[in-house]
Amino acid sequence: MRLKDFLARLVPVDLFKGLAVTGGYLLKRKETVQYPEKRLEPSDRFRGMFGYDSERCIDCALCAKACPIEIIYLADKVEINPETKKKKKVITRYDIDVKRCMFCGLCEEACPTEPPSIWLTSKTYEGAVYERNEGLYFDKQRLFTWQGVRAFPGVRSPAEGQDPKDPMGRKPTSEPTKGDAPGEKEP
Amino acid sequence: MSNHTPPSLFDVEEMELSFGPQHPATHGVLRVQLKLDGEKIVDAKPIIGYLHRGTEKLFETMPFPQCIPHTDRMDYVAAATNNQGFCVAMEKLLGITIPPRAAYIRMMLAELQRLASHLVWLATHAIDIGAITPFFYTFRERDAILDLFEEYCGARLTLNTMKIGGVPFDLPAGWVERCSALVDGFPAHIDEYEELLTNNRIWKKRTIGIGVVSPEDAIDWGLTGPPLRGSGVQWDIRKVFPYDRYNEIDFEIPIGRNGDTYDRYLVRMVEMRQSVRILRQCLDRLPEGPVIAKVPKVLRARDGMVYGSVEAPKGELGYFIVTTDKATEPYRCRVRPPSFVNLQLLPDMVRGHLVADLVAVIGTLDIVLGEIDR
Amino acid sequence: MTDPIIRFVVIPLIQTVVILLVLLGIVAYLTLAERKVLAWMQVRIGPNRVGPRGLLQPIADVFKLFAKEDLTPARAERFVFLLAPILIFVPSFLVWAVIPFGETFTVAGFPITPFIADINIAILFVLGVSSIAIYGIILGGWASNNKFSLMGGLRSAAQLVSYEVPLGFAVVSVLLMSGTLSLVGIVEAQRDAGIWFFLPGILGFGIYFICGVAETNRNPFDLPEAESELVGGFHTEYSGMKFAFFFLAEYMNMLVVSSLAVILFFGGWLPPFPNLLAGLWQSSLLSWIPPFIWYLIKVMAFIFVYIWFRGTFPRYRFDQLMAVGWKWLLPLSLANVLLVGVGVLVLKG
Repeated sequence: MRLKDFLARLVPVDLFKGLAVTGGYLLKRKETVQYPEKRLEPSDRFRGMFGYDSERCIDCALCAKACPIEIIYLADKVEINPETKKKKKVITRYDIDVKRCMFCGLCEEACPTEPPSIWLTSKTYEGAVYERNEGLYFDKQRLFTWQGVRAFPGVRSPAEGQDPKDPMGRKPTSEPTKGDAPGEKEP
Repeated sequence: MSNHTPPSLFDVEEMELSFGPQHPATHGVLRVQLKLDGEKIVDAKPIIGYLHRGTEKLFETMPFPQCIPHTDRMDYVAAATNNQGFCVAMEKLLGITIPPRAAYIRMMLAELQRLASHLVWLATHAIDIGAITPFFYTFRERDAILDLFEEYCGARLTLNTMKIGGVPFDLPAGWVERCSALVDGFPAHIDEYEELLTNNRIWKKRTIGIGVVSPEDAIDWGLTGPPLRGSGVQWDIRKVFPYDRYNEIDFEIPIGRNGDTYDRYLVRMVEMRQSVRILRQCLDRLPEGPVIAKVPKVLRARDGMVYGSVEAPKGELGYFIVTTDKATEPYRCRVRPPSFVNLQLLPDMVRGHLVADLVAVIGTLDIVLGEIDR
Repeated sequence: MTDPIIRFVVIPLIQTVVILLVLLGIVAYLTLAERKVLAWMQVRIGPNRVGPRGLLQPIADVFKLFAKEDLTPARAERFVFLLAPILIFVPSFLVWAVIPFGETFTVAGFPITPFIADINIAILFVLGVSSIAIYGIILGGWASNNKFSLMGGLRSAAQLVSYEVPLGFAVVSVLLMSGTLSLVGIVEAQRDAGIWFFLPGILGFGIYFICGVAETNRNPFDLPEAESELVGGFHTEYSGMKFAFFFLAEYMNMLVVSSLAVILFFGGWLPPFPNLLAGLWQSSLLSWIPPFIWYLIKVMAFIFVYIWFRGTFPRYRFDQLMAVGWKWLLPLSLANVLLVGVGVLVLKG
């Protein structure tokens, strides 16, 4: 072996370079975010907790059909108004089994009302519970009040009333151009 | 039985060791049944199935758009290319051409996903071999990429980000600038990882000559992806059967020379740089226009079958879909996972090596049990 | 009448207790230091929730280890299983009887030595006693009735025994320069020579430190406890206080190797160039620094280098590890002894 190769094997320059890289990081800024004192804000399109507006809902059950894991349970009954004798469908049960939800957003895409009656609110990701089966089963009342869900500051639950300019708690920053949204009817 | 001689002091028995399924280094629930002679591996048998979830059966029960979130969960490290594979296959079947803007957005998402997947591979491979810090550096970059995904489609890991016919939404305001900034800063990070590992003598000693695969063996066994290219075979689905306008983009395929672990490591590092190059070109040339083709809300297929494949970060991800006339669900959807086929070569690659090399080889094959077991 | 009793019984007893407690405290906080420094190198901060800035973390760890269930595997050999941690832990504390970390000072007319004993074969004592730990590793790996542990124990034993040889020769090169086996004498020899033995013996220092890292089973030679392969090696089956013993013994060994490196090569408690810059060190500005502080700074620097190695390097495979020890370090250490011997002969006539 030549002397140069011998010295190169003896003095590990490559190892020293590696040491320099990690040593340099001692002085650099650290990436840790101290949760829960500071929380990182999700983006505007983040698929978070459900929002449900029973006023807008027309009870078409397209969301239940669109769900890949069938976790939306709907039941309704026909109510007859005693004075006007008019029949009205009333939703008695709108439950979502959130513990199995994968937050794919297909229910929101399937909803035909504008804006959708079932949507995934942005910026709500803290819904952890200690008991899974009852703690993550959201019935109609709980979808309205968001009991047990901690929203990001500025996002309001359906019970608190939504911002009329931003009913889905999303602050959209880009206007959808015509012809983009799937399912839009042809003119 | 009567002439059974008791073992003498020098009879060497092979030790049978079950490596996994719960083990920090097996990238999921993989069990490798080892036959050891001291430290040397005499035989290795991978046993899979611990993560089987019946995905292909589930596909048969749900309409095409609903299948897409399920494809995310197969290779959970690189979800966008899973979606892309399914959409490419279905578009091939139904003869849908996607608009150019959708194709470019898909390519950008796929290349970002390739970067993210290779960062995870580097992190876990380095930890298995003992270098614990690249994990943290790579995940810092991966977090930035996942932030981009989150801004685009709302989720970080299981994206559900493509639709048959294009992509569901257009890019939000500022996404192109942020992606540009990430792409411009990325080569410096790759240089940092290389500084820590590529010329490090310990790394080279652990990876050169380990798990050698000859090109003929690689083709015979059906390897794809970096294991194939590390052995010297120039084969990348994006070049050979281009989809989604990859034929308009200028990039190179890195190939190795010796087919050992070090070559596969270098191939993946260069692939990351080439992904950055593709991203740069896509960002510069992003066309205007719609982002989804005119596809009916309830998608009905025709009678037929199709095999469509994409170059996932782990290899060739293929979907073989059989449909009947006017059906809303696939009749059969068989997935060709790259890790499943790559894993077959594990026994040949480790025979004769030591137990420590088994971990290096599993890392270099870059398997993820989600797509092996489905 | 009471003078010899105080001098030879009471003071050493007090010294022993003080050194023991202080060492235990240092070792406990070494675990925290490792986690924090390693974290800083990995773009994160280490434990910072328990107590201000995480300073009470070792106390929480101690409580946790005390409270953990002390399992013994079903078919493990019970007596040996219990004996192994003891065999590892005791020698690493025993060597501190001879390690000096300062100069003698007097209190109320009695000389207080910063070491418990100054025997004139101190180096031999240290090397011999610390080798007993190898028994603990082998027995611990075997008594766990677990294939992984057995393999880990065997590997570790082979590694430790192999790396003791170049370590010994590196130490021999220092002995040639100092002329005495006593640790206090070696530091005094460095003071007489005016320079730390690190400069003429740099090759010996390199060999010594690499062997030291290998002796303590630390990265890049930490294959016996590689999590990614053997899930913990010889201490996989241990939990609770027995595991704590292994843990503490490892950190104590790190301290021993660092202390020896400081004493043998870096002048112990001497400031740099003690004779040349004697004016500086005795000036009113700096004379208040006790020698112990110099020693502490140097030992902490070595511990930092240990942690730095862990954060940066991949680990050697076992056969490569043995190759490095036998094919590179041993011939180099022999050559080093030759060179140093020739140098000493030439310089001292």
